[in-house]
Amino acid sequence: MAQVATVKFLWRIVDLIVGGVFVCTGAIKAFDPIRFASDIDNYKILPWAIAVGLAFYLPWLEIFCGIALLLRRFYLGGLSILAGLISVFVIATVAAKVRGLDITCGCFGHASEKWNFSTHLGLDLVLFGLVIFLLFAWGRNFTASQR
Amino acid sequence: MKSSLVRQALILVALAFLPGIGQAIYFRDKVSWKLPVPASEMVTVVQARAWGENAIWIDARPDEEFARDHVPGALSLNEDRWNELLPQFLAVWSPEKKIVVYCSSQSCNASREVAHRLRNQAQPPMQNVFVLEGGWEEWLKSRQ
Repeated sequence: MAQVATVKFLWRIVDLIVGGVFVCTGAIKAFDPIRFASDIDNYKILPWAIAVGLAFYLPWLEIFCGIALLLRRFYLGGLSILAGLISVFVIATVAAKVRGLDITCGCFGHASEKWNFSTHLGLDLVLFGLVIFLLFAWGRNFTASQR
Repeated sequence: MKSSLVRQALILVALAFLPGIGQAIYFRDKVSWKLPVPASEMVTVVQARAWGENAIWIDARPDEEFARDHVPGALSLNEDRWNELLPQFLAVWSPEKKIVVYCSSQSCNASREVAHRLRNQAQPPMQNVFVLEGGWEEWLKSRQ
């Protein structure tokens, strides 16, 4: 019983951490979308017009998904979108590195512009691991509640 | 479970459009959807060289890269040491001179940032600020 309570407590803490990180990073990017558009453009994957559109849209998606985790409303939808977003960030970051691009990663807003590639990738992977943990925890909880 | 996931995801995706569209409207005059830097604010190496003494070259790369090599006569002005480096630039700046800002390559962002700050935050705000197409890499090619 105590073990279940501990796991649920840990789950909630991870919820708050991941949700909080995405609300903060989303807010940083939403505050300066033009810089974020430049960051996306640096990857040289998308045309500038799409980079601008994404710069206006993605930060808010992150914020809403972060809030979904914090409030546990639309929880599963939020988690799934965040897992997808982080996957895209990781793939784009690795692809940029392979192509030898000198990029400022936009994943954590302009606050992260001094971070090197390993730090970016490491943090992305940690977040991805946490999101997978949350999905797994939700899945187990859902299965248990169905019994 | 699957339908609930899709429904929730779609609601979040749709909700995020609302502030996104609002922000796009708010920033409509501040960003071009066609070019990262308007074509009128870009300059090629050949054009910039032709300006000769009428141009001030600004190296927006980090200090160590500037120390390694730079465009002859260029001044270092990067965001890391903006307040320290700005006075030496202001000492040689005059309104009629053109300012050419470059960073390491086409994909770097520092030259856009420095050009943006010179246009909007420097006192007095400056006109005639141009970003060098291709940056330092392009300069090196033109030297070969």
